[in-house]
Amino acid sequence: MTSSFPGPAGPLAGADGHPADELLAGYAAGRADGVGIWSLEAHLTGCARCRTTVSGHADSARLARNQSVLLVRIAVPEGGRMRHLLCRCGVPDHLLRLLAATPSLRKSWLLSVAGVLAVVAGEAAAVRYGWVSVGWPAGGLPGHPGAAVLAPFLLVAPLLVLAGVAVAFLPMFDPASRLAVAAPFSGFSLLLIRAVSALATALAPVVAAAFLVPGPGWLPVALLLPTLALCAFALAAATLMEPRAAAVTAGALWALPGLLLAAAHVPLLIVQGNAQLACAAVLCASALVVLIRRDRFDVGWTR
Amino acid sequence: MTVNVSTAAVRADGLSRRYGATAALDGVDLALERGITGLLGPNGAGKTTLLSILATVNEPDAGRVSVFGFDPRDAAERVEIRRRLGYLPQELGYHRHFTVAGFLDYVAILKEITDRRRRAEEVARVLAAVSLEPRARTRIRALSGGMRQRLGIAQALLGTPDLLILDEPTAGLDPEQRLRFRELLSELPADPVIVLSTHQADDIAAICPKVIVLLGGRVRFAGTPAELAATAAGQVWTAAERDPGAHLSWRGGDGRWRHIGDSPPAGAELVASTVEDGYLLLSDAAGAR
Repeated sequence: MTSSFPGPAGPLAGADGHPADELLAGYAAGRADGVGIWSLEAHLTGCARCRTTVSGHADSARLARNQSVLLVRIAVPEGGRMRHLLCRCGVPDHLLRLLAATPSLRKSWLLSVAGVLAVVAGEAAAVRYGWVSVGWPAGGLPGHPGAAVLAPFLLVAPLLVLAGVAVAFLPMFDPASRLAVAAPFSGFSLLLIRAVSALATALAPVVAAAFLVPGPGWLPVALLLPTLALCAFALAAATLMEPRAAAVTAGALWALPGLLLAAAHVPLLIVQGNAQLACAAVLCASALVVLIRRDRFDVGWTR
Repeated sequence: MTVNVSTAAVRADGLSRRYGATAALDGVDLALERGITGLLGPNGAGKTTLLSILATVNEPDAGRVSVFGFDPRDAAERVEIRRRLGYLPQELGYHRHFTVAGFLDYVAILKEITDRRRRAEEVARVLAAVSLEPRARTRIRALSGGMRQRLGIAQALLGTPDLLILDEPTAGLDPEQRLRFRELLSELPADPVIVLSTHQADDIAAICPKVIVLLGGRVRFAGTPAELAATAAGQVWTAAERDPGAHLSWRGGDGRWRHIGDSPPAGAELVASTVEDGYLLLSDAAGAR
């Protein structure tokens, strides 16, 4: 057979025009360099004799290992577009994979959040525009007539974000939490990764809904600080008490004034003026507590 | 069995842990060297509590632990222990929507194996070790109980740990799988410290050079399986009829009664005692106290 091997001249080229046996053995063992690989593969395409020689040199154990690794790479889900986008933005792949165990980042949870928001926002719009009638006066603040219709939305929206964050950090929602505790990966880092992701993911539909409800134009921005403060408070409280109780306490601290202001037909007060200042103070204090007491998230042997 | 406490790889001194009014551990002292140590005891003996404390998941009310010289009370040293640890809890929860390979990949990240290629190699290695390679793409919710147990064992093996804590690893495995598990432990490349709890005395006899019997939150025996079996020497006999004077009696597959007691009746057919006999005698004595 006429050789088509265009490979390197010199000691590695065989006398008959085929690659030298050492070269083929090196290729089979994965030791060939870039140009060598190109040349060999071009030759191997048309040379059955050399393909047989390469097969004889192949390390079957190594091939089996490589095959297993390949199968594992295929079996580990790649993730959706968002993961690819975040990877391209420089977020390490392994951190994104840790999020796969966060229930509040799953489609079913996000659909539920969107559903609840659609109901409360739709209800506000329906009352505001007179599609349905309710038994309470329109109420509101000076300059914002009819703001009372926003009460359910203002009550529910931050609580939805809080629920998402709570589900991300409460051990009861992580069936493999004991493995996470016994692993060297920092418990605090894991908590932050999950909580921040859940927060960002849940905030997006809340802010979008705030644009759609018939309220003042500043409402989407005004919701941010209280929502962040609420979530930070829950995390800070979780360093001082049982995490579930911390989440419930945070929820109650939002719901109680929210209900009282709704009853007084001035629900917007909870995101205005002094309330924003109070939320800023809570956010700063909570962040400080979380930072100082972060070891409490590393459960087990914490004394 | 003599263990040099000062050089033991894992050491516990005076461990106590209460759950309400119940003392799960009551002043446990132990020293573990490299090799397999079996932890034998009935339900409620404190095995799971002890193992979870050694795994740094729970903390004791009193007492000290040292693992390879590291003290789990110190945050940095606790991480060092966890870097060397493989842990199979008794009731391991799973993210049921994960695939088998996806779950192992997740645990590998928690074990700080962040390089993707190395993670895939590790996952492939442990999958092969527990013969779950064909199930790599199967979702966990579709696995049988035995397969889930093997998956639990696989995740504990990730990263080639120096300390392997296995809480009832053979629960749910059929006899062939139990045999494979014994082979697996004996084929581990390094020589880690392995602690496994079990109800199965035959597992202990088959693979554990050392055994600790935990009863009522206290260590009642520490030694070799042969020494445990020897504690019942001369106190085990068989007969055609049940002997009311024996502490424990049961009928074997051959139809004859096997008895364990303080003193066999005259003319009784004494038989060689087993690990199970020794364990049952200890349990009976502890229950009588």
